[in-house]
Amino acid sequence: MKALDIIHDEHRALGAVLQAFGFVLDAIRDGRFEPDFALLAAMIEYITQVPDKLHHPKEDDYLFVKMRERIPASAALLDQLEADHAEGARRTAALRGALVHYQGVGAAAFPEFEATARTYLAASWRHVSREEIELLPMARTGLAAEDWAEIDAAFEANKDPWSGPTGEFRTLFSRIVNMVPAPYGVGAGARAV
Amino acid sequence: MSELLKLENVRAGYGDAVVLEDISFSLGEGDSLALLGRNGMGKTTLLSTLMGAARQHSGVLRFAGEDLAIVPAHARAHRGLGWVPQERDIFPSLTVEENLSVVATAGHWNLQRVYEMFPRLKERRTNMGNELSGGEQQMLAIGRALMLNPKLLLLDEPLEGLAPLIVQELLSIIRRLTEEGGMAVILVEQHARQILPLTRQALVLERGRAVYQGDSATLRNDRELLDSWLGVAAH
Repeated sequence: MKALDIIHDEHRALGAVLQAFGFVLDAIRDGRFEPDFALLAAMIEYITQVPDKLHHPKEDDYLFVKMRERIPASAALLDQLEADHAEGARRTAALRGALVHYQGVGAAAFPEFEATARTYLAASWRHVSREEIELLPMARTGLAAEDWAEIDAAFEANKDPWSGPTGEFRTLFSRIVNMVPAPYGVGAGARAV
Repeated sequence: MSELLKLENVRAGYGDAVVLEDISFSLGEGDSLALLGRNGMGKTTLLSTLMGAARQHSGVLRFAGEDLAIVPAHARAHRGLGWVPQERDIFPSLTVEENLSVVATAGHWNLQRVYEMFPRLKERRTNMGNELSGGEQQMLAIGRALMLNPKLLLLDEPLEGLAPLIVQELLSIIRRLTEEGGMAVILVEQHARQILPLTRQALVLERGRAVYQGDSATLRNDRELLDSWLGVAAH
């Protein structure tokens, strides 16, 4: 069940960035750090691009298709998860727009940016939790070995889950780690004065 | 893959107390091993035995063709054993660069390569060891072991106590180290599912004895086996 390992790995990497994003929002809101727009842009790129370009297509095209064939009881859950995936593009545009607005307007626009970002984070956590708690256990028990062989083969092409085709997401992830202030990352962070 | 490390029926512990019983396994050059088990099962003791910090009561322990029993603990690093202990053991009164340089041995890994792998260490190169965050300290501890240009890198719970973002970064770096195959790696960790994909072999210890010894992929795919030996740590 290589595919399940890859999905778990991707959830862990995504969850790590989601958690760090929440920490950075807290720190800006509480006045502990100045906003670092390069960091905010990098985190938004990661939490939107990795799911939309790497993670969801694999689920939609292989795992979900096989589950619909083999596990009729999964239909309602799959409908909901696919709707979440489709909704991703709209939520991504809203988040990017809010960052541009915040950067242009300054501190006065932080509450609006924070609200949009928190909505995005909450939806992402909800989606990941639903997959971890409901979808993956159902797949684990409901699919047969030959189903997994097919799904694993399709997922195998994506060996390093967060690299991307040219390693760009690997680089992006490292950049985020090096910018997020400790203890969540190893960046210095511009302390608010 | 020629043999680098071989343990035959090793019995070891601290003083007269025996922690490990009848441990046998071998590791080739550039190979990788996940050393797993619940707390207190002997994982750290096994690494300590390799480094000469625990007492080898009996059995054979060979490294690069040499009987390690006759190599004093202080000389083992120079034989090619690079240890990243749980406590990290950063020199607090040395700068980051001094921590790295003080152990440097000629080879592939030098300051430039370590800084490429850990760019944050380059930014912090003039900071003292005690001025670093936990994540930076762990990066420094790994970087310092790499500067020894070891034949075998021993990582003792390198992810412990770190934030998920740093954990994922270190996992990716460890993956690169094991895939490049430039050195053998033994990785001790609690969270089996995160490290089994990184290593070729796995060894599970229970009460000081090996209860699984084989390839990582087989263990990774056997959920019942993982749960029975590792419980919650399996995930």
